Amino acid sequence: MRRSGWFWRVIAIPVLVAFGLVYLFPLYWLVATSLKGQSELLSSIVPTLVPQAPTLEPFHTVLIEKGNWKLLRNSVLVCAATVLTTLTLGLLITYPITRLPVSRGVRVGVLNWALSLRFLPPVAVVVPYFGVVRTLQLYDNPLALVLIYTLFNLPFSIWMLKSFLSEVPLELEEAAFVDGATRPVAFFRVLLPLVAPGLLAAGIIIFAFAWSEFLFALILTQTPRAQTFPVGVQTFVTQFNLIWNEMAAAGLIALLVPLILMILARRYVLAGLTFGVIREK
Amino acid sequence: MTNPGDPLRPALPPSRGGRLSRQERLAYWMLFPVLGLVFCIVSYPFGVALLQSVTATRGGKLVGLLNYQGSLENPLLYAALKQTAIYAAIVLPVEIGLGLLLALLVHRTVRSSGLKLSLYLLAITPMVIPPVAAGVIFRLIYAPNYGVLNHLLIMAGWIKQEINWLGQPYTAMLAVASVDIWQWMPFVYLVLFSGLQTVPRESVEAAQVDGATSWSQFWHIELPYLRPLLLLILFFRLADVLRVFDHIFILTGGGPGTTTQLLSLYLYRIAFKFFDTGEAAALAVMVMVGISLFYSLITRLLPLERD
Repeated sequence: MRRSGWFWRVIAIPVLVAFGLVYLFPLYWLVATSLKGQSELLSSIVPTLVPQAPTLEPFHTVLIEKGNWKLLRNSVLVCAATVLTTLTLGLLITYPITRLPVSRGVRVGVLNWALSLRFLPPVAVVVPYFGVVRTLQLYDNPLALVLIYTLFNLPFSIWMLKSFLSEVPLELEEAAFVDGATRPVAFFRVLLPLVAPGLLAAGIIIFAFAWSEFLFALILTQTPRAQTFPVGVQTFVTQFNLIWNEMAAAGLIALLVPLILMILARRYVLAGLTFGVIREK
Repeated sequence: MTNPGDPLRPALPPSRGGRLSRQERLAYWMLFPVLGLVFCIVSYPFGVALLQSVTATRGGKLVGLLNYQGSLENPLLYAALKQTAIYAAIVLPVEIGLGLLLALLVHRTVRSSGLKLSLYLLAITPMVIPPVAAGVIFRLIYAPNYGVLNHLLIMAGWIKQEINWLGQPYTAMLAVASVDIWQWMPFVYLVLFSGLQTVPRESVEAAQVDGATSWSQFWHIELPYLRPLLLLILFFRLADVLRVFDHIFILTGGGPGTTTQLLSLYLYRIAFKFFDTGEAAALAVMVMVGISLFYSLITRLLPLERD
């Protein structure tokens, strides 16, 4: 630090400013494009850097006129259901391995197995799932997405819940037992309130991940009855005549929800993504 | 020992000979149904894939390993594998290199906690953006006509006429790779930055008293703390390269030609554009087996707390 510190300090400011620009400008361009009117897009060959007459028209077109509010509604329902099922299954798996005397082998086995699912590429299972979903007559049904999203969010949820549960001292529950509480009562009255912030964070992250999923939604749904919002975004990109402001508005809606949620749960994002290797701060 | 590593047969009595306690029985009664259910949801489709892979796509007759042979004889498979390797060879070193440099830079120079928090928020932003939306963002940047990159470069006087970024093989590959780097370099930065925070202050100060240069401080003191994290990053990102689909689908759709058609897009195309279920299932089985082998090799190297 003493001898070479000057080098780091001299390059720090330009480098950080450059990174800041590289990260903020694309987001700015998305927002700016989404606020432009149709006439502004057609008026000149060189696009304007700042919207001349900002308008919310593109959002109206995307959500109302082109009916994507239905996909938005589907997304909310599918993600909320995924959060509920994932947290329930996650607690049913992590409660025994952290609060009950299971052998170390079972505990490590469950965790390793959950970890192995992290390495499963969705595109490899999408082919058989497509067949299974058709056989079960769940094609174009949001239920199929809930099942699959639960499966893919379970691994990191198990690791997150495990670390939250094991931080609560066993003595707290035992004190409740001494006072005559049954196990379910102790769980709901003592343990659950203590891990609630962690559960909320895990729920938020699951919601955001499920919200972002595209491949399964693209393949397993076909109509606005079951399609999720990212599938709707895709239609703005693959059509023949690209309408930039509508495409940007759709993209902006798609990213706003997980962005806001993740900023709320910011302390836990990294812990979730790294299976608890990086502790929340 | 009665096979303690198998989560699916936990009901075997432990070798100490006694009966299971009430609590242990409760634990297994909770675990067994849920794990069984999840296990079925995971392995049933694998069984289906196995069956599909030995069945003719049209007619449904059993054809043995013909689908496997067919999929391995398709030259597009090797092109897809090559594109995947090129993609990985671009994004992994750049993400890890830039992320490491940025983490060191911020760790050594930034003191204000306000700036640290804004950098943290700035860094988690691209990671939480849905890949589909990231594809849209970069479509608005690279696309012909409206794409802002060309106009900025022309304004700066660096190029004379528009470059068709998404329409030429090399630039298209760089364009899709740039989205990956944009989204995931911050992940590397954040993980390594947290790792640097865990390096004990005393060892750094002792080295500085001894006159260690910035380089030797990194190499001898900080790197050992980062090594397990670098391993984790490498394996997680490697697994992610095999899943990359969304942003390429949005940005180039695998084109021009098949020059950005990575393995996942290739599989998608075989299954849902050519509707060759047999060949797609054969590929899926091979990918799943390959991933399982890869996972069983690396699982011990991952620095995760399993207790």
